[in-house]
Amino acid sequence: MTVFKNYAETKNKKPGPLSGLRVLEVCTLLFGPAGPSFLAGLGAEVIKIELPPAGDVTRSLNPFGWFYKEQGPMFMHINPDKYYLALDLHIDMAQQIFKDLCAKSDVVEFNLRPAVTNRWNIGYEDIKKVNPGIIYLEKNGFGQWGRYAEEDRPSNDGAAQALSGYAWMSSFGGQPPLKQSIWICDVYGAMMGEVAVMAALHHRKRTGKGQYIEMSQSENIMRAMGWVWPYQQVTQTHAEPSGNRDQCICPADTFLCKDGLFAALAAPAPDEFKGLCAAMGKPELAGEARFKEHTERLKTENALAILKIIADWAVTKTADEIEKLGVKHGFAATRLHTAKDECEDPHRRDRGAVKEIDDPMYGKYMDHEIPINMSKTPPKHRWTVRPVGFDNDYIMSKILGRSQQQIAELYGHGVLGKWKDQQGRRPPSDWDGQSGAILRR
Amino acid sequence: MADYKRAKWAAWADHVRGQDDPAKNFEKPEALDDLVVIDISSRSLAGCYCSSLLAELGAETIRIEPPGGDLVRTYSPNGIMVKDTGLAYLQEGRNKHHVTLNMETDEGREMFKCFIGAADVLIETYPAGKMDAWGLGYEELSKINPRLIMCSITGFGQFGPESGRQQYDYDNVSQARSAVQYGTGEVLPEGKTVKDMPWAVPTKAGPHIAWAVSGTFGAMGILSALYHRDSSGEGQAIDICTPEAYGRLHDYQLMWYAHAGVTAERFGSLDTALWLYGFYPTKDGGVFLGGLRLEMWKAFVDIIGKYDEWKAEEWTTLAPFMKKDWQLKYQAMINPETSKYTSEELTAKSVEYAKSGRLAPITPVVAEIVSPWKAMHDENWQDRGIFAPVQDPVYGSVICAQAQWKSTETPPRTKWACRPVGYDNGHIYLYYFGYGPVKLKELQEKGII
Repeated sequence: MTVFKNYAETKNKKPGPLSGLRVLEVCTLLFGPAGPSFLAGLGAEVIKIELPPAGDVTRSLNPFGWFYKEQGPMFMHINPDKYYLALDLHIDMAQQIFKDLCAKSDVVEFNLRPAVTNRWNIGYEDIKKVNPGIIYLEKNGFGQWGRYAEEDRPSNDGAAQALSGYAWMSSFGGQPPLKQSIWICDVYGAMMGEVAVMAALHHRKRTGKGQYIEMSQSENIMRAMGWVWPYQQVTQTHAEPSGNRDQCICPADTFLCKDGLFAALAAPAPDEFKGLCAAMGKPELAGEARFKEHTERLKTENALAILKIIADWAVTKTADEIEKLGVKHGFAATRLHTAKDECEDPHRRDRGAVKEIDDPMYGKYMDHEIPINMSKTPPKHRWTVRPVGFDNDYIMSKILGRSQQQIAELYGHGVLGKWKDQQGRRPPSDWDGQSGAILRR
Repeated sequence: MADYKRAKWAAWADHVRGQDDPAKNFEKPEALDDLVVIDISSRSLAGCYCSSLLAELGAETIRIEPPGGDLVRTYSPNGIMVKDTGLAYLQEGRNKHHVTLNMETDEGREMFKCFIGAADVLIETYPAGKMDAWGLGYEELSKINPRLIMCSITGFGQFGPESGRQQYDYDNVSQARSAVQYGTGEVLPEGKTVKDMPWAVPTKAGPHIAWAVSGTFGAMGILSALYHRDSSGEGQAIDICTPEAYGRLHDYQLMWYAHAGVTAERFGSLDTALWLYGFYPTKDGGVFLGGLRLEMWKAFVDIIGKYDEWKAEEWTTLAPFMKKDWQLKYQAMINPETSKYTSEELTAKSVEYAKSGRLAPITPVVAEIVSPWKAMHDENWQDRGIFAPVQDPVYGSVICAQAQWKSTETPPRTKWACRPVGYDNGHIYLYYFGYGPVKLKELQEKGII
């Protein structure tokens, strides 16, 4: 497509699609903060509000003790491109400032236990009074009503994987359920939250009306589990996991190869299946009655039979050979990629899907781009996270017009706060005291 | 639903339910009912998922299939078909009108252009270049309709060195190429081979999640492009590459490799970056245990009666527990303890501990790892309207998870589950082209619809 010519090099010359939109978040950990980051990448002004002085718990998290310049790498991945305000929402003056900000914002997002916003006098009804057009999103484990919500059950990604049946469906048959290595219910839920928000913005454009949205992370992932539900309804039996075999598509599986690496392939369409059989040197298989039609091939015993034939062949080839045969014979195939591939793959680099961020505070580092490429309004990941309360003065003066003296008073009352002298909360040790600052601090 | 003890804030719960109970969805307006969406996706459910999300919000969504139906109609475990449709598509045909059009014919492609004149959004999943070869690339279509938002969802994207690859996009291949699958799965113990333990390999997620993630990013792109179009008046092209889209959820692992040279290996149902956080066996299955703060971990140790023996009193930081060897050591110590209880007993202990434990109200997260069968029959989700079946005029009662969110003003909703191949030809071609039965019969005879 010629509209994507030189896309990565020229994207900074174009606006983001959500330019002019203002979003507030009162979120911590992953499910909450991941969503507004997508809006920030799409060009919205996102203000992350943390409770001073410790802020978001994710600042402490790390894989096996690894930090990037004292910062939690997942905090950096989940929270880029935002402005950082530290406001103690337990205090009534802070609640009033929050309302003043809401009056000048389009979207506000929370991931608190049910009814907490109400207790803080910043529930939907309170905010609606100052801004009837506000899009108000609450995300948590079980929503705002129903038994689990009212039992005040805590939740997180692993709990949602467990309670939705997602983990159950993701192991090999006969093996215990398997947890995903990524926080799928957190980040997928966060994405869906922004679909809700943007649909609500469209409605607001037409009617002027805002709305209240509630989302449960266990429920949300059930939407993505597809065939499992009607399968159980139609067969009146349990859906069961099948490891790397896709039960709906045949053949579609991951195979061990000669070089000890793995390759995944799929070839359900007639042309693809014929191509695969030809690649295996067994073109006659494509004509066998048990394999010829996709619906016939999908029958479990037939599926297992063809997958056994493919597995016996795959182990005589390297993973790269299988990928190349896929290109040649027109079926889908790939060597299993690793983080190394993700980082070094020329395709991802050329597309700018993986790129170097040039951050004033943290320097240059590698991260993912927002994986939506738009020809006229490219989304952009531009900078990373900031210390707790880093942009307080900027936000208070720019949006609310508060004077330096008024701001000093708010600090004095503990309404505004700044970072604790602790890993992940304070600036990195090599910080020059100025870079990244928009206004004084 | 069985009675339960109401929360102190039950009035709030009742207030919200009064506003957003899905039982009242059909009394409310729809967010996107001013839009026309054309879905011509082929072989991939990423596009169908994307158009479903828009159709659930009220967009008039026209699904174009080749005569005979798209391959996705056949996607179904064990080859089960409900009338002409497999179970995977029975979930993603929702709220869409289904027409047939033979894109391999000149007349079919001309008719497609007429749809584009009326469309706000086009979704397609052909390998890059296919639409251009048909004379239906974005450059051509935007001349017909400059307001068009065209979203392509493919395995290799619309540009970049690999984008010329003419392979279709499949969920399992995309999961493998995303780098997420590599680090997920059971650990192969030293001295064992894959032959001994064929399940101890990089393992994909069961659901079509690479497709769902890509389709959802597609919906985000489309909705943000609409926002831009409202002020600029112009449409645009959107490119989603499925391994990149799902790979975006790989979190810190790219950074970890780029800056520390570490490739995260499989860690079973533990978590490389979190403690207490993992799956543990019980007498009748297993539970997820979570406690990302030191006190929650201590509370858990107290619940299993090891507070003194393990000297939990002396722990001052979670840091040492983040290390791999400590995680494995403690996992081995926890396993026999959780195995003494049923999942329900352990869940109840955690709830009780929040009231009366020595660290109360702090308590760990304990969640039973349930089968989808148990999830589907769970009264809490049923009460929340997640599995209320759709009464479809063709397919009968069908459970379509209506689970994404609830809202006071424009909630998503499912009106029908699916339609047979070409079911809406009569209505849609009459409405958009003024083609009546005589013309349609002629087109049918020529193999165009």
